[in-house]
Amino acid sequence: MTSEPRLTRRVVLQGLGAAGVVVAVGGVPGPAAAADPALGVHETAAAGLKRLFGSRPIKDGASMMKLEVPLIAENGAVVPVSVDVNLPMTRQSYVKHVYIVADQNRIPVVARAAFTPETGAAAMGANIRLGETGVVRAIAEQSDGTLYQVTRDVKVTVGGCGG
Amino acid sequence: MAGDVGKVRLRVPQTVKAGDVVKVRALVIHPMERIERDAQGKIIDRKYNYIDKVVVTYLGRPILAFDTTQSVSENPFFSFSFRATDPGPLKITFMDTHGGTYEGSADIKFA
Repeated sequence: MTSEPRLTRRVVLQGLGAAGVVVAVGGVPGPAAAADPALGVHETAAAGLKRLFGSRPIKDGASMMKLEVPLIAENGAVVPVSVDVNLPMTRQSYVKHVYIVADQNRIPVVARAAFTPETGAAAMGANIRLGETGVVRAIAEQSDGTLYQVTRDVKVTVGGCGG
Repeated sequence: MAGDVGKVRLRVPQTVKAGDVVKVRALVIHPMERIERDAQGKIIDRKYNYIDKVVVTYLGRPILAFDTTQSVSENPFFSFSFRATDPGPLKITFMDTHGGTYEGSADIKFA
């Protein structure tokens, strides 16, 4: 009897506990839901924006968004970018995503940050690669789907994307 | 350097007050391999190793995530903010396309 793989009460409870955790995590409206479109695609920036946002209008976000990126990037391999979005972060309305897009890169959609109301502020920064001189844009997507963007021209002295 | 791959640094301010929106900086040592091309300019098709997912949890709950691509620099650096409501662990996990996961954590304490 003891040689059988035993289905004891303890094992059952552990199993149930683990399942419970999975369910609980799955139920949280967490960041980066599975439905978000994939990144890392070789495409033009226009195609990438269309793929991510369809034909939704993108409004000018200059009044509530701050995009910091050097005007001249001497080394395209490491370009510090930071985005601050001054919009409410409440359960009713919050900034769901911030995208960083580098128009001239072969993979133009560089990164996406996914926020929750609990994050408290929609801010992000990252070091990115820029292949050549061009437009860098930050796009904020609110929970109701409203899109805002700010853009900056960045001059790249030495490209950083290689081949 | 190779031995350092996966080393994570997570920096939070030394003094945090309850309710503050706290700015955090994170760094991971990772090659973030670029696309390689052959002499004809054709992309060499292999599974490049780069970080494509970053997840931040606070008090055990996910609060923020990054999806990243090869357009992000080597040894990527990220910053973000979050609202510190309770003392507890802040954890960041980097995941790369070769199945590597790299973790860093910091304890949020109130002065």
